[in-house]
Amino acid sequence: MTDPTGEFFDELGRRGHEPMLRKATGVLNFDITDGASTAHWSVVVKKGDVSVSRAHDEADCTLTTDRPLFDAIVKGEKNAMAAILRGEVQIEGDPELLVLFQRVFAGPAESTRRRETAVAGRSS
Amino acid sequence: MSDGLVQILDGNTFVVSDSRGDIEASLTDPTGLFSFDTRFLSKWILTLDGERLNPLSVDDLQYFETRFFLVPGTGTVYVDAKLSVIRRRAVGDGFHEELTLLNHDDKPVEITVRIEAASDFADLFEVKDALKKKGKYSADVEKGSLRLGYSRETYRRETTISSSAPATFDETGLTLLAQIEPHGAWTTDLDVVTAAGVGGTYTTPKYHREGSKARPNMERSLDKWLEDAPRLESDWEPLKTTYRRSLVDLAALRFAPPVMGGKSLPAAGLPWFMTMFGRDSIFTSLQSLPFTSELAATTLLALGDWQGSRLDDFRDEDPGRILHEMRYGEMTAFEERPHSPYYGAADATMLYVVLLDEYERWSGDRKLVRDLEQQARAALTWIDEYADLMGNGYVSYKRRNEKTGLENQCWKDSWDSISFSNGEIPGFPRATCELQGYAYDAKVRGARLARLVWKDEAYADRLEHEAADLKRRFNRDFWVEDGEYFALALDSDGKQVDALSSNNGHLLWSGIVDKKKAKAVVANLMGPRLFSGWGIRTLADGEGRYNPIGYHVGTVWPFDNSFIAWGLRRYGFKDEAAQIAAGILDAANYFQGRLPEAFGGYARELTKYPVQYPTACSPQAWSTGAPLLLLRTMLGLEPIGENLLIDPVLAQGIGRLELLDIPGRWGKIDAFGRGRVKVAGRRSQRQLGLAEEIMPKQKRKNGKKGRVTA
Repeated sequence: MTDPTGEFFDELGRRGHEPMLRKATGVLNFDITDGASTAHWSVVVKKGDVSVSRAHDEADCTLTTDRPLFDAIVKGEKNAMAAILRGEVQIEGDPELLVLFQRVFAGPAESTRRRETAVAGRSS
Repeated sequence: MSDGLVQILDGNTFVVSDSRGDIEASLTDPTGLFSFDTRFLSKWILTLDGERLNPLSVDDLQYFETRFFLVPGTGTVYVDAKLSVIRRRAVGDGFHEELTLLNHDDKPVEITVRIEAASDFADLFEVKDALKKKGKYSADVEKGSLRLGYSRETYRRETTISSSAPATFDETGLTLLAQIEPHGAWTTDLDVVTAAGVGGTYTTPKYHREGSKARPNMERSLDKWLEDAPRLESDWEPLKTTYRRSLVDLAALRFAPPVMGGKSLPAAGLPWFMTMFGRDSIFTSLQSLPFTSELAATTLLALGDWQGSRLDDFRDEDPGRILHEMRYGEMTAFEERPHSPYYGAADATMLYVVLLDEYERWSGDRKLVRDLEQQARAALTWIDEYADLMGNGYVSYKRRNEKTGLENQCWKDSWDSISFSNGEIPGFPRATCELQGYAYDAKVRGARLARLVWKDEAYADRLEHEAADLKRRFNRDFWVEDGEYFALALDSDGKQVDALSSNNGHLLWSGIVDKKKAKAVVANLMGPRLFSGWGIRTLADGEGRYNPIGYHVGTVWPFDNSFIAWGLRRYGFKDEAAQIAAGILDAANYFQGRLPEAFGGYARELTKYPVQYPTACSPQAWSTGAPLLLLRTMLGLEPIGENLLIDPVLAQGIGRLELLDIPGRWGKIDAFGRGRVKVAGRRSQRQLGLAEEIMPKQKRKNGKKGRVTA
């Protein structure tokens, strides 16, 4: 069984440093509900240095949603900001931290631009 | 805005009502209480004993506060009312209304006060396009309040109405009984509070009934705002009016995005565009830099936070791209519109770097330049990696979201704004000329920052080399030999889209124009085809699509002209810059100091007054900023190192102009100037409304004069 959410956090933790988060500093908690149970991840970011744990300490920003949606967000199938506006993802705390963090979520798999670039690349 | 509608606002919350204070939304009257791009009240109608009221007057106290004076009955000729009504309304998170009934009779009265309330929870986009809602409505009568709600899946918005005086609530409003003594008064405080999210996470109202008066947060900062701005002294009274109007409107246009912890940036326009727009927020920040650098700093931070990071066709997002527009309504939430945020602007990313450099020149704030190094580099990378759609070394645009994305991603964004001289419309991608100018300027300024702050000599050299190469190619490929001006664009075949347009002025501003070509460009700008006497037309008279009241094809835009004047100064055409400044500021006079987004391109000697182009939003941020930038160009303010260079060149008729306490890295500096440039069509000082006796008393101050006071 695939676990995109788990893989996302494992991979993020292994990275140690993420250049896209260089402007971010703070603690983000993720409460991901799965039926009756809730899984926690805590991401500590310090100017791009990232560490991930399963701790449940005090956070600057907490994001709560269910696992199918979060799976889709980390895969780039759903957009996090639109989901927040819909109320499907709830956030509590500093929204700026989340705006900076959402950059690490993948984009949509298909992009015209990517295709065009690929085509141009082949023809040259 | 339709006539007779009254609007007040606080941030992105605003109320549009009729002159009675009633809200009765219809397709033609987009009234309501709006917040975060959603209408939270579509009906709010006051009746006394079943009768609507008649307006006597409306008193706009502040941009966030209005007072309506009303009497019962709808008398057509004369009203002899024994009763009068005052509705004092202030916007905060929702609105607060102090409703007062005054009994002028010798007898006591008993009156049934009724307020009909409803909400359609329409998205601003739906208000414009009259679309059908997909969710469910609710109306819950609770103890002492009425809660109106709308739900669609997990999306929920609520409006809660309460009253200080005892009231009976039902699903369509509330009823109160007012018993008033002879010559007595009766009052109730009504609160309308908006909420978003599941379970109604209410925002805390900025005002409380316990306090003596309802007061949103913004007011205190308005006083401080005006106090902190440079002081303008002039014998030309209308200029003082325009200056004050600009400062107050700019204060009203401040918008604090949720990610900025209370700091504000300029939104694009009031009321429908009270949100973050990349292009508009950047241009307005540039215009206002000599007066306040705070708006620029917040704009840079907020746009930097939202900088694109991935390829997303729906949002036209690329890594490094600066957003075009941000919205918070239902259609954005359900991805029926791409504004979460939408990135379809081809100029904002380059202008971002331009603003960062200009901000540093004024403020000396190198820390912010260091903090935003990554963002600036990503923006500069975007120019070559993602914006060169045709692979010909020029920035061009073509939307990837073909359903709801923007076709024209430059500031002239209407469908027919980009055309050949014969009126034909080119295909996509389009490389409009001003985009190349901005790209050039971004690289040159980026190089300066790289050398000065990021200490990356190699990167600076590379950017400078690229800029020089772009300039050389541009002056060859865009130059229309016959007419001696730059083409509006190159089309997808690299062919010149050869109409003569105001974009040439932006090219001067960017510095991409070869010095030896500047004279001919200026001759075109100031010639009768483009210059109307008030300002430069968007498109030249004689072009296939020219229309003096066409949105981007003949009207005069004050914002456009303010940047053109800056461009003229950059190339040393000081008299011409003074002419433009005088023309636009004369026009402002006809609009009580509040310049519209655009006005007709008719020749000045033909109409004698500027003909306003009807627009939905007023004030518009970059029109509000135009007089500020024109003041800068008239006084020739230019930061050079730690100093401010002052080189005033003003039109005749401005006997004296002083701008005192100009803030910047130098502390505060005063600038003085007096008019000498003759401007055709401009009337004499007496006709301009000058108090003549002031004139002889003024000590003539000649030209370049600056005084450091701190």
